[in-house]
Amino acid sequence: MNAGIRWWLPYACFAIAALAVPLLLSGNRYFAFVAGMTLISVLWATGMNLLYGYTGLMPMVFAGIAGISAYLTVGLVAAGWSFWPAMLVGSVVAALVGTVLGLPSLRLRGFYFTLCSLVIQTVITLAFVYFVNLTNGDTGISQIAPPKLPGGEALGGLAYDVVLAVLAVIGVVVLAVLVDSSFGRRLIAIREDEGLAEALGIDVTRQKLAAFFISSLFAGVGGAFYAPYVGFISPRSFDVLVSLNIWLMVAFGGRGTIWGPVLGATLLAPVPFLLQDYYTIKDVVYGLLIIGVIVLLPAGLVGGLKHLRPRPAPAAAAKAEPAQ
Amino acid sequence: MSLLEARQVSVRFGGLVALRNIDMCQNANETLGMIGPNGSGKTTFVNVVTGHVKPASGAVDFDGVPLARCRPFEIAGAGLSRTYQAVRVFRELTGRENIATALVNAACPLDADAVVEATEWLRLTHRLDARAGSLTLYEQRRLELLMRLVQRPKLLMLDEPVGGLSSVEVRSMIAVLNELKARCTIFIIEHTMKVIRELADRVIVLLAGEKIADGPPGDILADRRVIENYLGSVDA
Repeated sequence: MNAGIRWWLPYACFAIAALAVPLLLSGNRYFAFVAGMTLISVLWATGMNLLYGYTGLMPMVFAGIAGISAYLTVGLVAAGWSFWPAMLVGSVVAALVGTVLGLPSLRLRGFYFTLCSLVIQTVITLAFVYFVNLTNGDTGISQIAPPKLPGGEALGGLAYDVVLAVLAVIGVVVLAVLVDSSFGRRLIAIREDEGLAEALGIDVTRQKLAAFFISSLFAGVGGAFYAPYVGFISPRSFDVLVSLNIWLMVAFGGRGTIWGPVLGATLLAPVPFLLQDYYTIKDVVYGLLIIGVIVLLPAGLVGGLKHLRPRPAPAAAAKAEPAQ
Repeated sequence: MSLLEARQVSVRFGGLVALRNIDMCQNANETLGMIGPNGSGKTTFVNVVTGHVKPASGAVDFDGVPLARCRPFEIAGAGLSRTYQAVRVFRELTGRENIATALVNAACPLDADAVVEATEWLRLTHRLDARAGSLTLYEQRRLELLMRLVQRPKLLMLDEPVGGLSSVEVRSMIAVLNELKARCTIFIIEHTMKVIRELADRVIVLLAGEKIADGPPGDILADRRVIENYLGSVDA
């Protein structure tokens, strides 16, 4: 009972914070919008964390998958669908596409898979540009109508922010539950040593594809809610730089921890908005952060803090290592 | 009926014949050893049986079921477990997490009390919360055994279980493995005769991918072909 409360407490605090921020910022629409974008980033970073942090795969195609869901949702709404079923279809289709695009990970290891996914991301971006009658090409789709609530009222302002906060909280809790489950244990085993995982009876193919499906579902839901929230999508909204940004949030905060990517998204997502007047140095800041993370914090902020906490010194560690 | 049976197994890597027409069988509760110099095909044989290498020809049956189309995780799930020549544990995870990972994938795992008992038997109880990579080599070897044991394998294939251990540890490991026989059937690869002589009921000798002898350790030691090709040149 007590342990149950202790397990839930951080998530309850996060839920309160996620809901409180849009409320507190509701006086200033711009800051509230930045908070909303940050919440979408939290959802995305949490989804990528399942693959990058827990399964050990670094997919650079994450934004492209979010884009597939965004374009599909917007297209279905334009075709007369209600937003909610369109969002579901868009997200599930994106998740299926993400699962198929995960197939190369069954053969390609580590960096080679990342390179492959980078190419796929580029192809998706080109497809968004190329299929003009579906995506309106480089011009993008603007004036996307906000979702309609069952009452017929448009979802907007504070209410939309609250929906995004709820999604971010659900995303984080879902990840936490998955990671604590036997599924999470199998993913971690695959991350640590794929061959050994298989020798212990883990169906590596199935677990990886399941991870791709769930992670892409996060991307898809985020993409579907992103489009009407911003009101505008274009191939640029889901290009390789966006994938890289989401990766940076996960890596900067601490991959393979629940709270690292949440922290990373909270710190990094607002940066482009707050630095809007300094457009030229924005990219420099990002570049420096990437280098800083790789050199100084290979395990990210939260991962780095974990290592600072002293581990209980094992008594037998003093014993000499056996001669090899 | 034998627990493990291989018929006419051949493996080629490009032009190199790694195994040529190997026939063997192992009965339940019989400890079978496999010896041979480096490169004689011992590990390749284990790789074939556990599904990591597809043989060019031949068939392997485990517990009466053909393994030809099975993937490694299915073979492990069927109760045929293996260890590796270079010790292999999840180094970044604690001992406890390593064991938990083995447990979630077992078809019929040991119950909690039996896991505690096996952990104590392998003298790992006080080391469970340490990162597996920080354990000594001998502790990692025992953790590796424990991870297999909690899955209750029908057959455990050990690839050089004393590799890299000091002579004191080798003696201790031999004692552990002798007790392990009561818990599951063991197939053991070694390239020194010492370990095999103390553990195995029967020994198969490989040389350059071919089986040159198969019998009780005493007979094998007296076999002239084995002495000429192997024992005479290495150590006995």
